[in-house]
Amino acid sequence: MADSIVLPQPYPESVFRRVVRLVPGIVLLAAVGYAGKFIEQSIALYGKSHRLALPNIEYVLWAIVIGLVIANTTGVPAAFRAGIATYEFWLKTGIVLLGSRFLLGDVLKLGGISLVLVAIEISVSIAFMHALGRAFKLRPKLTTLLAVGSSICGVSAIIAARGAIDAEDEDASFAIAAILTLGAISLFVFPLIGHSLHMTDVSYGLWAGLGIDNTAEVTAAGALYSDTAAKVAVLAKTARNAMIGFVVLAYAIHWARKERGEGVSNKAAFLWTKFPKFVLGFLLISALATAGAFTKPQLGSLANLSRWAFLLTFAGVGLRTNFADLRRQGLRPFVVGALGEIVIAVLTLGLVFAAGHFLHS
Amino acid sequence: MSNPTNSTKPAESVQRANGKPGWRLSLDVWAVALALALSFLVWSGVIKRIPW
Repeated sequence: MADSIVLPQPYPESVFRRVVRLVPGIVLLAAVGYAGKFIEQSIALYGKSHRLALPNIEYVLWAIVIGLVIANTTGVPAAFRAGIATYEFWLKTGIVLLGSRFLLGDVLKLGGISLVLVAIEISVSIAFMHALGRAFKLRPKLTTLLAVGSSICGVSAIIAARGAIDAEDEDASFAIAAILTLGAISLFVFPLIGHSLHMTDVSYGLWAGLGIDNTAEVTAAGALYSDTAAKVAVLAKTARNAMIGFVVLAYAIHWARKERGEGVSNKAAFLWTKFPKFVLGFLLISALATAGAFTKPQLGSLANLSRWAFLLTFAGVGLRTNFADLRRQGLRPFVVGALGEIVIAVLTLGLVFAAGHFLHS
Repeated sequence: MSNPTNSTKPAESVQRANGKPGWRLSLDVWAVALALALSFLVWSGVIKRIPW
């Protein structure tokens, strides 16, 4: 009987405890991120006062490197882990706020070009990843997860697909480890290639948004190139993220039919569940900015709030990457993922150059 | 045979006894809510200027 139910702990206390548990990790994110900003500014100031032409290494790189050093030397104590895991929350908050820096017309134009390129990229990369998976004799569901992770949006897509296709936890861990390692490598390689090819900010941003898997790494790789590149990279990645529901739905139907001879009953509800809601927030803020709801100084403040949110994200990217954990996951999924990434990077680079005419018109 | 009505109650009871709500807002929704709240504070002038 309902009356005899043991009363749960008071809900507010539970929420309070959960929030308190996040505080140490969030403070660490802020400290690491701010240390990166402080180092960048200190080097610039030193160069200016001593009239030296020192290379400008962005705070993004410092924050990630400091995080990597902590995570792979002393390690991150358990008390900090829950708060560090909020880096994805700050990333999404930052993306929504970034909407204030786009006019809706630009979003539709760049987003439209991105969607066409995304459709081509997803089709080719999924087909290629499945061929690779068969060649390397990976388990079919692990191949599916790697294909989803590398073609759409990294860890979020893998987590969404894991539930939808009823995959093993071990397969999901393999796929996530491979995607995270490759994301960390791409973060450093993409800006080098972009500079060596003298890519424009828009072209490079579009390439990073299409070619790198995880949204946090896309944002960081864009910010390492330029402010404009970061904006475009986030927009292209957001268009890619919007496709997650369709691809996961297709895989859910495929595996449900293959294993149980069933289909997915309510496709619209399924799509809504998997759709990344922060995309709607991004469009709403962009629409408000386009309608003139904010003054110029207010737009500047919103852009800076977005930067602060990203600062926490970049610190989290470094702090959550543990190379020892990644090594333990084995080589084959990594090799398949890496080969897939190289092909996707080359394919998307070709697509971006082909779309150059539309981008700069 | 088990009664379908009775069979659902223990599950609900366990859920409530564990203190877990029946539904939760997703991370995305929280992120959008925070971003909109901050935008409102900036728009209304409560937050005057955010430096970088």
